[in-house]
Amino acid sequence: MTAVDTTVLVSPRARRRMLLRKRFLRRPMAVAGLVVVVVFVLAAVLAPVIAPYSAGATDFNALLSHSSSKHLLGTDELGRDELSRLIWGARASIQAGFFATMLAMVVAVPIGMIAGYYRGWVDTVIARVTDVLLAFPFIILAVGLAAILGPSLTNATIALGVGAVPGLIRIARGEALALREEDFVPAAIANGANDLTIIFRHILPNMASTLIVQATLTIPGAIIGEAVLSFLGLGVQPPTPSWGVMLQDAQSYLSQAPRLAVYPGLAIVLASLAFNVLGDGLRDILDPRTTR
Amino acid sequence: MAAPLLEVTDLSVRFDTDDGPVHAVDRLSFTLAPGEVLGIVGESGCGKSVTCMSLVRLLPETAAISGRAVFDGTDLLALSQRRLRQVRGRQISFVFQEPMTSLNPVFKVGRQIGEVLTKHLGLTRGEARERTIELLRLVRIPAPERRLDEYPHQLSGGMRQRVMIAMALACDPKVLIADEPTTALDVTIQASVLDLLRDVRERLGTAIVLITHNLGVVADIADRVLVMYAGRKAEEAPVADLYTAPQHPYTIGLLGAIPRPQDGEDTARRLREIPGRVPSLRELPAMCAFADRCPRADELSRSQVPELRVVRPEHLVACFHPGPE
Repeated sequence: MTAVDTTVLVSPRARRRMLLRKRFLRRPMAVAGLVVVVVFVLAAVLAPVIAPYSAGATDFNALLSHSSSKHLLGTDELGRDELSRLIWGARASIQAGFFATMLAMVVAVPIGMIAGYYRGWVDTVIARVTDVLLAFPFIILAVGLAAILGPSLTNATIALGVGAVPGLIRIARGEALALREEDFVPAAIANGANDLTIIFRHILPNMASTLIVQATLTIPGAIIGEAVLSFLGLGVQPPTPSWGVMLQDAQSYLSQAPRLAVYPGLAIVLASLAFNVLGDGLRDILDPRTTR
Repeated sequence: MAAPLLEVTDLSVRFDTDDGPVHAVDRLSFTLAPGEVLGIVGESGCGKSVTCMSLVRLLPETAAISGRAVFDGTDLLALSQRRLRQVRGRQISFVFQEPMTSLNPVFKVGRQIGEVLTKHLGLTRGEARERTIELLRLVRIPAPERRLDEYPHQLSGGMRQRVMIAMALACDPKVLIADEPTTALDVTIQASVLDLLRDVRERLGTAIVLITHNLGVVADIADRVLVMYAGRKAEEAPVADLYTAPQHPYTIGLLGAIPRPQDGEDTARRLREIPGRVPSLRELPAMCAFADRCPRADELSRSQVPELRVVRPEHLVACFHPGPE
């Protein structure tokens, strides 16, 4: 009867947390993803502390040098330390990833929920506009924004966020459509709740796990997007480091120093892959049908 | 009889569906006195739930409601949504059939009850918590201080129904509408929930409308019974009269379908069923809705709608050939 004993001793919330932790630890890919994500986030946050050099520091005695004790991953054509630039570059990626996703969530979730909750013509209008947005490539939007406001990380982030909105609207709408049919909705109405209370206090918390997973899966898209935009000169502007900028710089030296393209490329792949497997893992453990 | 707390007059509810209108309730009138328990009985689809849901307009927008429902001097059917929200849960509250799913799975039960209290009575969180513990104790939940912090999935069905009742009683409503509150529960739990409802009526003086298809449940707790058939009132009587001298053949049929193992000499009695089905409510029949299933039906029943007639004080029946078997 140990099960009964734990019921008494451990608060329900703590027990659920324990269960989720156990399930999470059983998924090596997800754990690895989490570790890599944490490493990248720490690198971005602690860049001034852990980067051996500042991002712009040049060493003219070592142009395009190979790995050495002084420059662990070598240097680029201006003698800038590759490792330091990777670490500083993580800032742009993480920043774009998080802020674009947050922006998309803040915009998309309420719209999607309103569409799903009210249905009718409101839903039709939102769904059609969403379809149009889905058909509209975000890169055009980014180019437009850069043309109007000038290229910068902020504008790239906005473009990426807006690009992620239609997909999230669909997800929030679908969840709200399903949840509004739950019995607790009429029960809440019978207790005098108004639409706002129902949407944000009753329906939203029920879709939280879906949204968390979706956010984790949106971030890698935004990280890649940031690299793409910076590569095209629409995002982070040199000499500020970003993985996309580094790839762009490496292009001219591809035959002499291919490693300059390999390192930032690997960083992009690793970071987005890590967020993806973490998201998959979270989706699995938060799925109520999961039993192990 | 005291002045009625709720007086419903000529309530009709029509649903406009893609296949045409469905007349769920047809010119139904009834009253509810303060502290009274009114049982509404009938087969599935006879309009019991729709009647009650229409009072505080919990129906989808496809429902067209007409008539009057005067509660405490105001017509509920004419209230604005805003005013209506102040009535829902505060003056008139609901207990639904499905305790398993009517609680929001992501909130602790204490918070769900507390939300009603903070919303309607403006209590602070601390006060709401105190009152919630009191309420849980009132509905006889053991160790309420601990249950407060549990999630709905940790409670049994009976326990959840008690939580629903506690939530419905949170603001000390004048009317509690219980829509088949015991259907989803097993028999022993049913008995204790009914017991609880009776207790609530006695201690708080709450008027209760009990919707059920189980005449045994009604006999147990109701003061008056309203038998509905196909959206119309078939019979209405004080509970004792209804059981001892049912007038409408439909009521008699329903009573005949109750198993009574304690009857002794009757133990081998075959349960009688009512032949046929509830008619479609697509169009209002210009005749007695029960005629097709009724042993007493004749030309008159098939050509006119029977009006309600008073057979005894407070005993009304809508039948051309009323009377006990």
